[in-house]
Amino acid sequence: MTTEAILQTGSALIAVWAKETLTPEPNRLDAIIEPDDLLAAVTALRDAHWGYLSTITGVDLGVEAGEFELLYHFCAGAAILTLRVRIPRDQPVVTSIYSVIPSVSFYERELIEMFGITIEGTPNTDRLFLPDDWPQGVYPMRKDFNPADA
Amino acid sequence: MPTTPTQENDVFRIPIGPQHPALKEPGHFEFTVDGEVVTAATLRLGYVHRGIEKGTEGRNWIQSLYLLERVCGICSHVHATAYCLGVEKLAGVEAPPRAQAIRVLVAELERIHSHMLWLGVAAHEAGFDMLFMYSWRDRETVMNLLEGITGNRVNYSANQLGGVKCDIDGEQADDIRVGLDFLEGRIKHYLDVVSQDTMFLRRTRGIGVMTREDCERMGIVGPTARASGVELDLRVHAPYAAYPEHPVNLVTATAGDLEARFIVRVNELFESIRLIREILDDLPEGDLSVRVPRRIPAGETISRVEAPRGELFYYIKSNRSDMADRVKVRTPTLPNMASVLEIAVGHQLADIPMILTGIDPCFSCNDRMVAINDPSRGEQAWTWEQLRQYGIEYYR
Repeated sequence: MTTEAILQTGSALIAVWAKETLTPEPNRLDAIIEPDDLLAAVTALRDAHWGYLSTITGVDLGVEAGEFELLYHFCAGAAILTLRVRIPRDQPVVTSIYSVIPSVSFYERELIEMFGITIEGTPNTDRLFLPDDWPQGVYPMRKDFNPADA
Repeated sequence: MPTTPTQENDVFRIPIGPQHPALKEPGHFEFTVDGEVVTAATLRLGYVHRGIEKGTEGRNWIQSLYLLERVCGICSHVHATAYCLGVEKLAGVEAPPRAQAIRVLVAELERIHSHMLWLGVAAHEAGFDMLFMYSWRDRETVMNLLEGITGNRVNYSANQLGGVKCDIDGEQADDIRVGLDFLEGRIKHYLDVVSQDTMFLRRTRGIGVMTREDCERMGIVGPTARASGVELDLRVHAPYAAYPEHPVNLVTATAGDLEARFIVRVNELFESIRLIREILDDLPEGDLSVRVPRRIPAGETISRVEAPRGELFYYIKSNRSDMADRVKVRTPTLPNMASVLEIAVGHQLADIPMILTGIDPCFSCNDRMVAINDPSRGEQAWTWEQLRQYGIEYYR
């Protein structure tokens, strides 16, 4: 199957929840979805065995924009399907997809400690990368964190 | 964090790490055991976390290249390659064919060095120190070749944005061919050892079995997945740099045990050797680099390359400045590490070091340190500033 055909299959699987789809590069498809639909969309991809979850990228859009964007990258061969979810910076909460993809645990723990995002329903919220004596409530990957102040 | 075995509610927990003589990587595992059998496992990482992703947000595109190349001391070149390919895509430029070929050539030499390093470490964990010493002695051949091409044994710095810094002349090509001939003979011997030596097979055959379904469910990548029959190699399925011109033959196995992981990696060495010879015979003429603007147009891209340990994932976002807005790096060891926690359950505690080594976890490798003496200044060692000045003067 060509990369284009693989992407079309993936696109069809999540079409119900996609508010908008973009093709930023020939081998990529980005689907913007609501946080509430995340679990359903991921379940659809998993049930159809469409690729695997490569990682989750957290992006801080900045204090002015007031939002975080979470990118769930699914890869199948050369094709990359990204589910894009935006959550407010002042109340950063998103549903865990652990019940569907248990190997997501490391990526969710990374989001918790680096961005201070609450992942609802993930079983292990222990620190993965940051040291034990890292101060509570300080999230290094946020744009307003300045390494010089640490 | 407990440092001695503890017993609570009839559950016996054994902490291993972060520093442990059997594991050359700082990671903290906690194994729950029933007698000798592991019943659960947890992991704590971060002992060598240096905040590199954050570091890229305060550095310009060129400075970040040097930083990212230092994510890993073993597979530094693939990090730089993934980053350069991504930034070049955003900038709308493409490195010249000769540069792409040299990128692949160095990447394959790096794969040989990485797999041979792994073979030695794995042999050591199996209690087969003779194999460890032989494979590391032979690995020096490829280290010397890398030093000959780039001037460095580790962190080769072969890449630059828009191309490469080092060329390959006829004499270097001959040196590489001689080195490869020697290595090929040795690797044939290693294949015999890992597939026939009875004592060795007792440590590998039927141990740490992962099915193809397990791998796909957990998102396992690289040789670890290919040893379970997963057909995924980005050089084959999403070719980049010069791989479209020099196709790679996929190496897989079906058994999914430690033995299969040895056989897949050793067979990949032959494939790398074949590929390097093909590139040397057919190195395109032309420039080594093209100009890349200081400010990169706004946009985001994903760059994936096949590191020695599997898929290396880079997400790069630019907001049209001279610095990256976000660089996300997902190394292959992270998903593969999840597999260790799962397949450890049900195995003897004594098998754990081998199962961990089986995924080839990425150890930072400090290869050697050079103290530079300058008797004319009456000094024992140079400061950082002096070294920097020396570098500037040298290249002026």
